[in-house]
Amino acid sequence: MSPYNLHPRFKTQYDANNQEFSISGVIRPQAIDELGPSLALLRDAIGRVRGVLYVNVRRLAQMNNAAFHAFSRIILDACRARPDLKFVVITSSVVGWTSRKFGRLSGIEPNITVEEYDSEFYPGQGFLEEGGFVPILRTQTKMTWRHERAILPRHGMRPGVVMADICCGIGDFAVLVQKEFQPSRIVALDHSISSLDYARRVMREFDIRGIEYTYGDASEMLLDEAQFDLVTCRHSLQIFNRPELILKELYRICKPGGRVYITNEKNSHCLGEPRAESIRWTYNEVAKLFAHFEMDVELGPKSRRYLIEAGFDDIRVETFTVTNLDGDPQDFADVIVAWADVYAGEMATKRGDGPEFVARFRQGFQDHIFAALHPKGYAGWPIWVASGRRPQ
Amino acid sequence: MGSVLHDPAGEPTFEPMIQIDMEIKTFVSAWKHCDYVSTYIARMISQNRSDSVRHSNLFSSAFNELLEVAFRTRHADGELACRVSRHGATDRIELTFPCMPEERQFYQEAASQVAGFEARERYLNSVSGDLAPSREVVLLELAVDYDATLRVEEADGDAITLVMDLPLEGLQH
Ligand SMILES: C[S@@+](CC[C@H](N)C(=O)[O-])C[C@H]1O[C@@H](n2cnc3c(N)ncnc32)[C@H](O)[C@@H]1O
Repeated sequence: MSPYNLHPRFKTQYDANNQEFSISGVIRPQAIDELGPSLALLRDAIGRVRGVLYVNVRRLAQMNNAAFHAFSRIILDACRARPDLKFVVITSSVVGWTSRKFGRLSGIEPNITVEEYDSEFYPGQGFLEEGGFVPILRTQTKMTWRHERAILPRHGMRPGVVMADICCGIGDFAVLVQKEFQPSRIVALDHSISSLDYARRVMREFDIRGIEYTYGDASEMLLDEAQFDLVTCRHSLQIFNRPELILKELYRICKPGGRVYITNEKNSHCLGEPRAESIRWTYNEVAKLFAHFEMDVELGPKSRRYLIEAGFDDIRVETFTVTNLDGDPQDFADVIVAWADVYAGEMATKRGDGPEFVARFRQGFQDHIFAALHPKGYAGWPIWVASGRRPQ
Repeated sequence: MGSVLHDPAGEPTFEPMIQIDMEIKTFVSAWKHCDYVSTYIARMISQNRSDSVRHSNLFSSAFNELLEVAFRTRHADGELACRVSRHGATDRIELTFPCMPEERQFYQEAASQVAGFEARERYLNSVSGDLAPSREVVLLELAVDYDATLRVEEADGDAITLVMDLPLEGLQH
């Protein structure tokens, strides 16, 4: 079982700058004395704040009724003693019981409100979770798989591994891995309910077993420590404004001696012939556009640094280029069409780009498609693969 | 065990999933057993739920409360049996443990409170009250926050069985 006694199972913290008291972990005391210091910290925080105290329980995985009552009492008492004070309890949609349980408090004291922290993890979220990305992801995975199936064994993939695919999207990668490598278990996590619905439907329709799709937040997962031999996270670190937080979580759930495998792009290195110049210009602009939404699609070559700084060793990095010569050039063209749609459409509009810019921006995608479909043309999309081992 | 009888008519069949038995003495020797057992069983039975991680978290949360209730039994001898079975979206926990005759009565009453429609009201009152949550309040909370239903069955010897149905698959995000 998990190493209960090695780690403190819960933590409370007060952040004076944000007037935020946070409780995380598993809190199941037998007697309230066990919570003494934490309760004192809460009382103390209440004594110091003005206006609003945020009570953050987003990372609270478990709390028994004894502990719930002890913390609630202090908050409820404070509401009575200090009518000037408001409490905002921040729960997570991922932990099923917290919103209900803490939600009861607002029925008792109107100065307590409960907010489910959810959609806005990072600035670009909307585009990726519910936007037009599903068709892109399908075709992308189909093309990258031709390379990755050969690459994965060099990064710790082998039959029987227990693996997790974090930010799994619509689950295509998990399905392909399941068929090719027969891991003993795959947990696949994403924060898009529609993608997960899709993934589960595919699993049912094709009678695929052994993949557990789960709704969660990659930066604060409910998964236990040290349970996976291989943790994959593909094309996703690059969309978070703070990738190091996700890596920390990937590290945490990986077994010592296991590996974390990440793939990322460097969009400005997309290339094509003919019409190389126009293509290069557009993909440089793609990188800037994402940067505007605090996403770093130039992350690929920085993977090594990120993995080292997250504490991994035995780091392996390689690159491959998806090209129009892998399989059907039309697949390549389809991906570019989808990129153009989202990047030069929704995203450019949201940034407020003028028609002149958008026209030139689109032209580069057109040219990339032209290169891909040209009988003598060549078009490429480079990907950086990196993995690191969690030290024993 | 096998002494729990179900209504012969109308009751759907629950498929057994897992069972853990232990001496009540062993169980009450350490508080953390509640946590271990609830976490372990939750993980085992959640793997084929539509969202295993979420299901396991919810199940463990509810089951732990039930175990903490059983932990407070005043009877020192006999067996604790935890049995989990499933019918569709509902998981059933049957917790059999020895208890004193007066406790038996207490559980009967608590179960009828839980079923009552003022359950929510009673629960809210207790949260705003001073006392640490009683066993009754803990059971109420399961009904209020997890849509659990509870009934009490007589078991062999000095034991009773708490039967809790948890429709966690249907619980909204
Ligand atoms: C660019 S997609 C990559 C999907 C998939 N790995 C692939 O290669 O096709 C990024 C994915 O991250 C998911 N995501 C975004 N924020 C997340 C979060 N906080 N927790 C978990 N998943 C998240 C999105 O829903 C989306 O499916």
